[in-house]
Amino acid sequence: MDLFLHLCVMIIIYIIFAMSLNLEVGYTGLFNFGHVAFFGISAYTSALLSLQQVPFELSLLIALAMAGLWGFLLSIPSLRLRGDYFGIVTLGFGEIIRMVFQNEVWFTKGPMGLPGIPKPILFSYRFATLSQYLLLTLGFAALTFLILRIILRSPFGRVLRAIREDEVAAEALGKNVFFFRIKSFVIGSLFAGLAGTLWGHYTTFISPGDFTLLETILVLLIVVLGGKGTEWGPVLGAFVLIFFQESLRFLRLPAEWTRYLAPLQQMIFGGLLIVLMIFRPEGLLKEKGRGSNAGN
Amino acid sequence: MDFLFQSILNGILAGCIYALFAMGLTLIYGVLNFVNFAHGELIMWGAYFLYFLMGKPFGFPLPIALIPALLLTILLGIGMDRFVFKPLRTANRLTLLIAALGLSFLLRNGAQFLWGAELRTYGFEIKRGLRILGISITLNQVAIILTSIVCIVFVYLLFHRTRLGKSMRAVSDNLELARVMGIDSKHAIQFAWVIASVLAGVGGILLALDTNLQPGMGLINLVKAFAATLLGGVGNIWGALLGGIVIGLAENLGVLVISPGYKDAIAFGIMVLMLLIRPSALLGRQE
Amino acid sequence: MLEIKGLSKSFGGIHAVSNCSFGLKDYVITGLIGPNGSGKTTLFNLITGSIPPDKGEIYFKGNRIDGLLPYKVAQHGIIRTFQLTRIFPKMTVLENMLLAPLHQTGEILWSLWVKRRRIRDEEKAYREKALGLIETVGLSHLKDQFAENLSYGQQKLLELGRAFMADPKMILLDEPTAGINPSLIRKIMELILKMKESGKVFFIIEHNMGVIIELCDWVFVLDNGEKIAEGKPKEIQNDPRVIEAYWGV
Repeated sequence: MDLFLHLCVMIIIYIIFAMSLNLEVGYTGLFNFGHVAFFGISAYTSALLSLQQVPFELSLLIALAMAGLWGFLLSIPSLRLRGDYFGIVTLGFGEIIRMVFQNEVWFTKGPMGLPGIPKPILFSYRFATLSQYLLLTLGFAALTFLILRIILRSPFGRVLRAIREDEVAAEALGKNVFFFRIKSFVIGSLFAGLAGTLWGHYTTFISPGDFTLLETILVLLIVVLGGKGTEWGPVLGAFVLIFFQESLRFLRLPAEWTRYLAPLQQMIFGGLLIVLMIFRPEGLLKEKGRGSNAGN
Repeated sequence: MDFLFQSILNGILAGCIYALFAMGLTLIYGVLNFVNFAHGELIMWGAYFLYFLMGKPFGFPLPIALIPALLLTILLGIGMDRFVFKPLRTANRLTLLIAALGLSFLLRNGAQFLWGAELRTYGFEIKRGLRILGISITLNQVAIILTSIVCIVFVYLLFHRTRLGKSMRAVSDNLELARVMGIDSKHAIQFAWVIASVLAGVGGILLALDTNLQPGMGLINLVKAFAATLLGGVGNIWGALLGGIVIGLAENLGVLVISPGYKDAIAFGIMVLMLLIRPSALLGRQE
Repeated sequence: MLEIKGLSKSFGGIHAVSNCSFGLKDYVITGLIGPNGSGKTTLFNLITGSIPPDKGEIYFKGNRIDGLLPYKVAQHGIIRTFQLTRIFPKMTVLENMLLAPLHQTGEILWSLWVKRRRIRDEEKAYREKALGLIETVGLSHLKDQFAENLSYGQQKLLELGRAFMADPKMILLDEPTAGINPSLIRKIMELILKMKESGKVFFIIEHNMGVIIELCDWVFVLDNGEKIAEGKPKEIQNDPRVIEAYWGV
């Protein structure tokens, strides 16, 4: 039963993470390959603040603000670039942030990590047990889903998709493409931060090794497998992939095997991305010709 | 003062290696018009192929193992194109880049699967260097510089004196026009992969000689290679050379003032700086 | 309405546009013709801000617009179409249309939470207008289709309808009848004339002289980046300089 609840919590956290990337990659067409950076920035911010007895409500807000702020700072110099270049910059950013977590030992305790992150107390209610935490994450996930749905179904969301489709045409219609992209990126970073914070308080121990390219690849895979640019794609993708990833962890294989199993599993992720892109880039759920939903 | 000169030498050394990385990356960019996100892994596997051939059960000495290692790297480069990039020639950019990223991840973990995540070296003992004009330079380092120069001269000759080189330049300039004029773009593309793989392989081997090998070395060197190409003007192979040297110097001079833990971040910083100063070649309306 | 003074733009050593000066009047359909490579599309790009000029000034309704970014130029009321149609492929015809109006309240992020009613009302109004325009251009049966599924001619109609939807003060059409069949050409001409009646000003690049003669009240002729002639279509047709530019005689 515990395993089941754990699985649910992980899946839901990754749903939030994937929804945030879906906004950027799926809807706005931004090539963000460093999304883990914002996941990590928020996780560390919230952890550090909570360890200093800052109430969760406040540490959460500050953690989100940090994620959003860094999203903003990163996007200003780089969002005008063409896709490939932006991809490399975000990729590099992800690596640099990991380096910061690793090197700034006075601040982040470096490779030793931050243990003992307290369980959140939100509005006087303590979310300590597994099922309580599940409730917490579920609540935030639902909130995220609703907020993003409002954004994506609005005229604002429409412009984002137009930018994805043809930014020159969008600009010619009077849309300030750069501005819209920044907003999309900041919102995406914010929600990535939410996922990161929830994750940090769940595992209660974070270290720089938790925020690597693997997490970016995983969330990217979730988004494209589920179907980028769809509302439920990230949900489906998260179910499939996190289930796969976490169940391997619980198979209780001999210790010597893990040395081979981890890279093998990650090779599968890499290979899956390649195969998907070649044979079914739309993913599982296709974007529907928006039938009768147009304008609603 | 000696310290400064030593850093400059180290910078030029590293710069030569980065130049090789950047030249390979920009070559593929020029011919196929995309940044190969798996270029770092080509570098990394080049280094590991040599390691593989020098270790059990082969045990070849370096000069003997070098050519086969490079051949294997070429095979990998051509394989990349044949199995991943060629099917996606007409796909949209995001799809292509995601596939390249996936490929990079696959290759990186492949190396980890085979050789583990630990740092490895080729096993040459660190010999005392010669002292010239107050700075120390080892035989290894001389070899690195010489090899780089050889490669660069080689590339120059290839590009400007052979027919295939001319085809590559034509294809790089304008693929449609090149095709229409009957220039064999397919061979030009393959040839570009061969050259890029050799440059990556040699660069990776030199880097591993100078430092060490580990499966994750691809990513950060991709970023450095890209920063160098950006500096020199994307698609410009001689600019990439220059950019590499600049990055190498910046890194080695930079650690005189900032923490060595961020040495690898200097290239990224330069990249961001360039973007802020904004040469218009990078921005502007794209197609 | 549109004033261009001494506009110049070079690429490398090539003078795409050389010291051009134009004036476009209200209530008039103006044509821009010239042999291939004479700088017509470059001129459009200069006006719409896609490229900045090297020299010269552009005024629209008294406001200086040269060097502004394309979205700002569009916000001044200048909307353009492209030689190779740029519709939004994976969005429906209706959505393509709904993107056109400027300054939509719903495009501002904060408004989504505080101005919900206004957005809803605006959407309703836009939707009605869009459906009306879709009907006018004859694409009603395709309104929920992804634009990429339309034929080339239908896409041209969509792009035109979308330009109308933006309620512009001036529309720049870059070869609106290129590559389509005669009956469609006729239809597009009718649409343009109809829109002219409601006060929209057109500046049209065209190669099809028949279209120019029928539609345009005034024509400018470019050759090698320079304005070599202007006048009524019939006069231009017989102008020796124009004939020489096209035929080299």
